[in-house]
Amino acid sequence: MADRFTLDVISQGLDAAAVEMFEVLRKTAMSPIIYEVLDVGTGVLDAHGQLVSSGAGIPSFIGVLDKSVQAIIAKMEDTIVDGDVFLTNDPNYGGVTHLNDVVVAQPVFSNGSCVAWVASIAHWGDIGGRTPGSMSTKTTEIVAEGLRLPMVRLFNAGVRNEAVVDIITKNSRLPDFVRGDLWAQVSAGRRAATTIVQLCDGFGADALQVAITTARKTGEQRAVAGLRALQSGHFSFVEEQDDGTLWKASITITDERMTIDLRDAPAEAAGPYNLSRDGAFVACQVFYKALVDNDRFANAGSFAPLEVLTTPGTLFHAGPTAAHAYYFETRMKLVDMLWHGLAEAMPDLLPAGHFASIFGTVIAGQHPDTGRRYAMVEPQMGGWGATSKRAGQNAMFSTNHGDTFNCPVEIAEARYGFDVLEKALFFGPRIKGELSGGAGVRISYSLRNSAVLSVGYSHANVPVWSVRNGSSGGRNCLRISRTDGTIDTYHFASDIALGQGDVVEIETAFGGSRQAP
Amino acid sequence: MTTTKRIATDVGGTFTDLVAIETGPEGMKITTAKSDTTPPNFETGVLNVMAKGGIDPKDVDFMVHGTTVVINALTERKGVTVGLITTEGFRDTIEIARGNRPDFFNLHYEKPEPFVPRYLRTEVPGRMTYLGTERIPLDLSGVSDIVTHFRAEGVQAVAISLLHSYANTAHEEAVLAEVQRLWPDVSIVASHQITREWREYERSNTAVLSAYVQPVAARYLGNLDDSLRAQGLPQSPYIMQSNCGVDSLAATSAVPITMVESGPASGFWGAAELGKLIDEPDILALDIGGTTAKCSLIEGGEVRIMTDYWIERSRKSAGYPIMVPVVDLVEIGNGGGSIAWVDDFDKLHVGPQSAGALPGPAAYGKGGTNATTTDANLWLGRINKDYFCGGAIDADMDSAGNALKAIGDKLGVSTDEAAQGIVRIANNNMVNALKLVSLNRGHDTRDFTLLAFGGGGAMHAVALGQELQVKKVVVPAAASVFSAWGMMMSDLRRDYFVTQLADLSEGSAMGIEGVFAKAEAEARATFKAEGVDPAKLTFLRYGKFRYQNQEHTTEVLLDGTVTDGALSKIADDFHGAYEREYTYRLDAPVEMVGIHLVARAEVGKLEMVPAPLGDADASVAVKGTRDVDYALEGKHSATIYDGEKLRAGMAFNGPAIIEDPGTTVVIHPNNTVSIDAYHNIHILLEGQS
Repeated sequence: MADRFTLDVISQGLDAAAVEMFEVLRKTAMSPIIYEVLDVGTGVLDAHGQLVSSGAGIPSFIGVLDKSVQAIIAKMEDTIVDGDVFLTNDPNYGGVTHLNDVVVAQPVFSNGSCVAWVASIAHWGDIGGRTPGSMSTKTTEIVAEGLRLPMVRLFNAGVRNEAVVDIITKNSRLPDFVRGDLWAQVSAGRRAATTIVQLCDGFGADALQVAITTARKTGEQRAVAGLRALQSGHFSFVEEQDDGTLWKASITITDERMTIDLRDAPAEAAGPYNLSRDGAFVACQVFYKALVDNDRFANAGSFAPLEVLTTPGTLFHAGPTAAHAYYFETRMKLVDMLWHGLAEAMPDLLPAGHFASIFGTVIAGQHPDTGRRYAMVEPQMGGWGATSKRAGQNAMFSTNHGDTFNCPVEIAEARYGFDVLEKALFFGPRIKGELSGGAGVRISYSLRNSAVLSVGYSHANVPVWSVRNGSSGGRNCLRISRTDGTIDTYHFASDIALGQGDVVEIETAFGGSRQAP
Repeated sequence: MTTTKRIATDVGGTFTDLVAIETGPEGMKITTAKSDTTPPNFETGVLNVMAKGGIDPKDVDFMVHGTTVVINALTERKGVTVGLITTEGFRDTIEIARGNRPDFFNLHYEKPEPFVPRYLRTEVPGRMTYLGTERIPLDLSGVSDIVTHFRAEGVQAVAISLLHSYANTAHEEAVLAEVQRLWPDVSIVASHQITREWREYERSNTAVLSAYVQPVAARYLGNLDDSLRAQGLPQSPYIMQSNCGVDSLAATSAVPITMVESGPASGFWGAAELGKLIDEPDILALDIGGTTAKCSLIEGGEVRIMTDYWIERSRKSAGYPIMVPVVDLVEIGNGGGSIAWVDDFDKLHVGPQSAGALPGPAAYGKGGTNATTTDANLWLGRINKDYFCGGAIDADMDSAGNALKAIGDKLGVSTDEAAQGIVRIANNNMVNALKLVSLNRGHDTRDFTLLAFGGGGAMHAVALGQELQVKKVVVPAAASVFSAWGMMMSDLRRDYFVTQLADLSEGSAMGIEGVFAKAEAEARATFKAEGVDPAKLTFLRYGKFRYQNQEHTTEVLLDGTVTDGALSKIADDFHGAYEREYTYRLDAPVEMVGIHLVARAEVGKLEMVPAPLGDADASVAVKGTRDVDYALEGKHSATIYDGEKLRAGMAFNGPAIIEDPGTTVVIHPNNTVSIDAYHNIHILLEGQS
């Protein structure tokens, strides 16, 4: 039996494996949304697909990969052999989010048995479908959204399946990018697998298993300690949305458990705004983790005390044909609702609302200097809310993003061939006696040749919420100033034609305020 | 053969160190001295330590000076008020930063505050494109008002950073000239004077931080030079840089930010130079001090220099970028003084908190109650309790024992087991750091020699080397002052990084060659202006390549003039280097993103003279035996050697301990040891020969 320090050493090795994997992916990826936005998650999972460690750029990708690997294990069962590598991107088949997010998962074998899994998820710039960037606001079913990869083998016992590679590259508008991103993910997995095999060689597979179980117990202890520090009770709330609908949910907190009840959700959306049940669960995990243990440390134990209730056929538990392209905006609104709901009850524990949008902005076209196709896929930064101690933070990515980097203007101009006219803080009014919300951002892109724009964001109509009688925060906005002098405002839209000289102007909301104590 | 005297002085937070090396007919004589650092007049401490070491400035042929003044001014926020002039529409760049939240579950995360507040960030109209062509002409009409505003607000230094200045410096140069015309005596820097790489936030922040420390560093270096020259120092000292080279005092005063990480750089350069000397060009270098451990990989005798350097960056904070050439290193909070602690969930951790010099480890007996790595090493018999810190301190074993017992009690293990656990966890932290610079970049550690220095390097080196299965472990002579030795081995060196996109295809060679040629001409002119003999100047050319559409680059060493005929070899070298690091290669176009030119010239470098290998038996150096707990390998009776009595050519086997006034070398069972002609200790691990 391994002593406690050996177990610590193994645990650290497993953490390092996920982090190394993340670094490989960051350095080798082709798509800026992977290497800069870090719309990426990596994870080490145990032989049953339970989360062991993760290296992630964004919190909403922390608890995704366990669901993917569990689905693969359930489907493939005992056909899984050493050297297999699986792909999935379909929320009905362990993909969790939307078709752009491709999971690459491989089992790790030591002495003939599976001891762990390594997996990564990354947003590919284009996976086919009707719109460049694959995120159309007009689709009503998943088959129209792009190529579906329902847990297929990319490698079969170490042998590459060329047919799968061909199908993928022929179904993307950016074949070089997806090929590069795919290999980046495979390479990342190999790096982590090597580390895990070394740990098994050094300490034995049994010790590895004990280390995993011990770390999971620690994860659960940390979470329970966090729950005990929270105010127990039952909290229910209603959140108004931009389209006037009301969302309802409740949270029950005890010393041992948090239950988030989303059963009273709106029906599944006709458009591409649906969350799979796994997707809704992940949103709840983000908020729950921020409340009970906001350190980056996370494994299956961290999330064990969380229970999420959903109803099939609703927005948060969509059915098999539902469209998902803009799932991330729904997931953002779900986190925003949970945060607002509890902030009413615990106004000193939680900051006032932030701009609460991914604000995914896609501009696709041909580079005016090189003639090469490009697709800019970027989230936006916005203002954060005031806390009980200070004003809100200026210009950061949303809570569902994290160690996400904006694209430098100098690189954007070179890569996409448009001009960035301005990138500045956008402040709300300062009101006496208030701790004000942080500034959003104003950014404008001036097109040098024609392109196509897709965009989606929340808080277009309903302003960002405040707490303790503070003034509301701002609203998010995207406008296009046309060369003929007209100005068009868009909220959720795709395939918008942009001409040479058109200027895309984005203003993101400033955060919510509160009365100064 | 005449006598040559070289000295290195190093100003740290607490102490100012001196190493003097005298070479002459009688061989080499090394003198060391230490005295208090004397803020704010640091030059006093330097003069003090020279007096203490018996050094008359008049006799010094070559002096190198290392200082932490820049990094301290930054981390303690003791710079000056800076005003920024930037491109219209972008004055918030340094506050927006990259928008990231590394502590991503924390809803209370706070961004690092910019070093220039918004009211001192000003704009001028005018735009360059990424190709370096002018899109909107520069308008200087507002600069006069800006200068008036800066003066009224007490600005003491001005930073200029305009979009795409890496591609065309004209606008920045014009703003610089205009401000200097209006305000001749202001301390000022434009971003292109520091770096020619893209990414406006990183470059702007670099210019701002450089301006922030410029008056402080210029005053410091000026005072130092004046006092030393007044005492007869024949020529100004050279200043240690972050790129493992030295630079002239005048050049450093103009752009002091290049000193920011000079502390660790000299040790790593020493490792590279020692590797060449002992014919081990592939080195894993490990420097363990009181607070941190740092490591870096040296391949083919060359250190790796990068410009992706950040201060105050962690899992909890985004930090601040400084885009200057810095030796590629990984640093972790694990040194001799690192505190062991048990978290709320019964897990043992070591560091990053350090007990520092005061109270120091519990065994110092100065009131420290926390167990540190040093206490564990003492408890296990690895450090001699009767020769603690070279005999300078009486080890307080009761305090050490109590501190370790407290850890053991929390974990439910014995005091011995707690001490073993601390050493094992500390070793594991360091192994992971070493892996980051080696295995994780596709290097096989079996091809590398682990070179360990700093006060604590030799204590842990063998355990780490065994874990990583390195070729062998080497502990240099005078390991505790190895960094100073490295300073005296440094060249006058400048690293030029220039962003320049180019396809790697037929017809592109001339353009690439032109970028190198231009940078080389600039280097030649700069060196010449400083009176360096052009014949002494050598260049290394690196290209930064990637597959088209990627972001991150892989650096490849280029051989000779870039011609169209050489492009396919360059591409092959890139594919090979890429595959080694990432396990695959792509059939995709390769593009160059920029160049990295190293220009260097030898200035007064130390030449080492080998001693004849004797055949004396090592037993003359034996002090005795004691029981040593090797943690993983259990307790063994080890032979104790006096490091000062070991001579070239001696050999012996482990288990053993070598005690030196500055450091303790832990030799494990089944190791074999030999002393080379330069008094370095070579340790072969089990089964090696």
